[in-house]
Amino acid sequence: MANLKEVVKGEEVTLEIEPGMDILEVNKQLAQKNMELLREDNVRAIDIMGSIGAGKTSLIEKLVQALKQKYRIAVFKGDLTTTIDAERIGRHGVQVLTINTGRECHLDANVVARAVERISLEDIDLLFIENVGNLICPAEFPLGTEKRVVVVSVTEGPYMVVKHPFTFMNADVTVINKKDLAEIMKIDTEQLKKQVKEIKPDVKVAVTNALSGEGVEELIKALEL
Amino acid sequence: MHELSMTTQIVDSVLEEAKKQDARKVTEVHLVIGKLTFLGIEQVRFSYKILVEDTIMKGSKLIIEEKDGTIECPGCGYKGAIPFEDDPAYHVPIPTLRCPKCGKAAKIIEGNECTIRSIRMLK
Repeated sequence: MANLKEVVKGEEVTLEIEPGMDILEVNKQLAQKNMELLREDNVRAIDIMGSIGAGKTSLIEKLVQALKQKYRIAVFKGDLTTTIDAERIGRHGVQVLTINTGRECHLDANVVARAVERISLEDIDLLFIENVGNLICPAEFPLGTEKRVVVVSVTEGPYMVVKHPFTFMNADVTVINKKDLAEIMKIDTEQLKKQVKEIKPDVKVAVTNALSGEGVEELIKALEL
Repeated sequence: MHELSMTTQIVDSVLEEAKKQDARKVTEVHLVIGKLTFLGIEQVRFSYKILVEDTIMKGSKLIIEEKDGTIECPGCGYKGAIPFEDDPAYHVPIPTLRCPKCGKAAKIIEGNECTIRSIRMLK
C-alpha cells in the first residue's frame, strides 16, 4: 500500500507517494482476483497472444477439437468489433463469448472479469482467452490465466522475436506457427526457437501448422493439458 | 500503443488526489516508468498535454524518470540489471532472462511499473 506524505510550503503542497502509485498495479490486482476465482472452480485458463494473422484462432480450433472430449471448454474471443472468429470456434460445439474491445489494443483483467461473470464456471474446466491481434500491448496486461502463450508465424519475417523480446519474456509457451511455409519464407525455425530460448531459458516452444494440426500435440504437452 | 488510456488513468488519479487535497492547481507530476513496460515516453507526454487541457492540471510540469529492468534468480539468488546478449547473429543486443551467474531462468522484479511518485499542487 502506498504511503502518502504531505510536504506543505505556504500554499504549495507536495504529495510524496512511497513507493508510488503504480497505474499498472490496478490491472495486476484484478488479474490476481481472476486467478483466484478461476482456481476456486478448478478452471484452467490460458491467454493466447500474437499478431494479427499469426494463427491464434486456427490453433484454438485445433486445440478445441483435440481436447473437447477431455475437458468442458469455453473460449473468450477478444476482437475489435466483429464476431467472425467466435462463429468459427463455436462450430466445434463449445461455448464462445466475444469480448469486443472497440479500439483498445489489448484485453485487460477488467474486461475478462466481466466476461467471467457471464459464464458459469462450474460448467467448464478449461478456458482459452484469445487476445486482440497484437504482438506488443497484451503482454503488458496479465489477465489472471494459469499460462500465457505467444503465437508467432514464419510469415512475420525473421526478426519478430529479437524485435519484441519483452513480449516473449511474458510468455510461458511460445508457438512458432505456419511451419509448412518456413522453407518458402527462407526461415529457419530452429534459429527462431534458439532466440526465444535465449530471451527466456525456461520457455516451452512448439512448432506447428495450425491448418493441418501438425505440432498441436506438442503444444498440448507444453501446456500440460 | 495504449499510452492514451494509461495517461488517462494517470491524469484521473492525479485529479482525484488533488480533489482530496482541495487543490486549486496542480503544478508538477513526477512519474517513474519502467523500461520493461511498453510505454513510449514521448507518447505519454503528448497524451498528457492533451488530457490536462481543460483541467486544473493545465500547464503542469511532467517529470518522467525511467527505471531500468532488474532481475532476480531463484536458483542462485543473483540480483541485478537485466543482461543483454550481444550476438552479432541477432543484429541487435537482446535482453535475456538468463541469469548471468548460473544460467538458469531469472524473474523480472523491477521495470514493469508505471508509477506516480509525487504530485505538487497549490491550495
